[in-house]
Amino acid sequence: MCHQTVSLAARHLEENGISTLVMGCAKDIVEYCGVPRFLFSDFPLGNSAGRPFDRASQAQTLELALRVLESAPGPRTTVQSPLRWSEDAAWKLDYLDLTKLSPEKIAERRKEFDEVKSVARAKRESS
Amino acid sequence: MTTTVSGPKIAFAADYDAPIPYMQRTRDYYQLLGFAPYRWAHFIDVPFTPLRVPLDRARVALITTAAPFQPGVGDQGPGAPYNAAAKFYTVYSTSIETVPDLRISHVGYDRLHTTAADINTYLPLTQLKNAAVAGRLGSLAPRLHGAPTNRSHRVTIETDTPELLRRCREDGADAAVLVPS
Repeated sequence: MCHQTVSLAARHLEENGISTLVMGCAKDIVEYCGVPRFLFSDFPLGNSAGRPFDRASQAQTLELALRVLESAPGPRTTVQSPLRWSEDAAWKLDYLDLTKLSPEKIAERRKEFDEVKSVARAKRESS
Repeated sequence: MTTTVSGPKIAFAADYDAPIPYMQRTRDYYQLLGFAPYRWAHFIDVPFTPLRVPLDRARVALITTAAPFQPGVGDQGPGAPYNAAAKFYTVYSTSIETVPDLRISHVGYDRLHTTAADINTYLPLTQLKNAAVAGRLGSLAPRLHGAPTNRSHRVTIETDTPELLRRCREDGADAAVLVPS
């Protein structure tokens, strides 16, 4: 949802005269929504700005983002960071890997999902 | 019948070594859990505003989906399980004079392969400050803004994004860097 939220915000700011750049890890969500400028890092969600405790990676990611911000030739400009999360890309297979969910686990997740929704609803109503 | 492929070996990358199809996986997941399919925001036309001043004269705002730490609403630390109680529902702004304590336990980041232990992976504030000091940017807006992550497109489009625009204008921002968690 985070990627969709910022994509919608980028579009609105851009329509109103503010240039934008999205830094993110979910390529499909951002491009499906459609944004002016996007720096894509092919990293696990949560690392839009670089690798943990790796200042060089964070500096390189921001510099690339700024270059995209100042030089994109038109909307839907996506640049992919050349940085790799790890040599082995097997981490990409794990996100919501449904083959690893037993029927018991599915029931548990469903219950959790409903609980989370009711916590969020209560919080939203009280805010 | 067998087919023999001959010729030089081409070293392609692994099939799965491509950007993760998050929308499809989420769709399949919701279906498996028995929930209605989620409709992702989708547009054909995309706006574009060229930067109105060179970057070294531009004021840049930072927009994040991270949440201010809230004592008493459960674990929000590195690797914490999803914590809906830590969510926020209205746009917030906070001074960037010091690095604010912002967490991401309220969103679905990849808890298997990362832990959110380093704020600089989801909030490039220190790097942006470095860029401003180095003269790469004109300046950084004095506040950063928090965008609530909402499943409802209507609330995001009708309430939150106009509010973010209003605050960016108040700060005199020429450009914004938006960073989802």
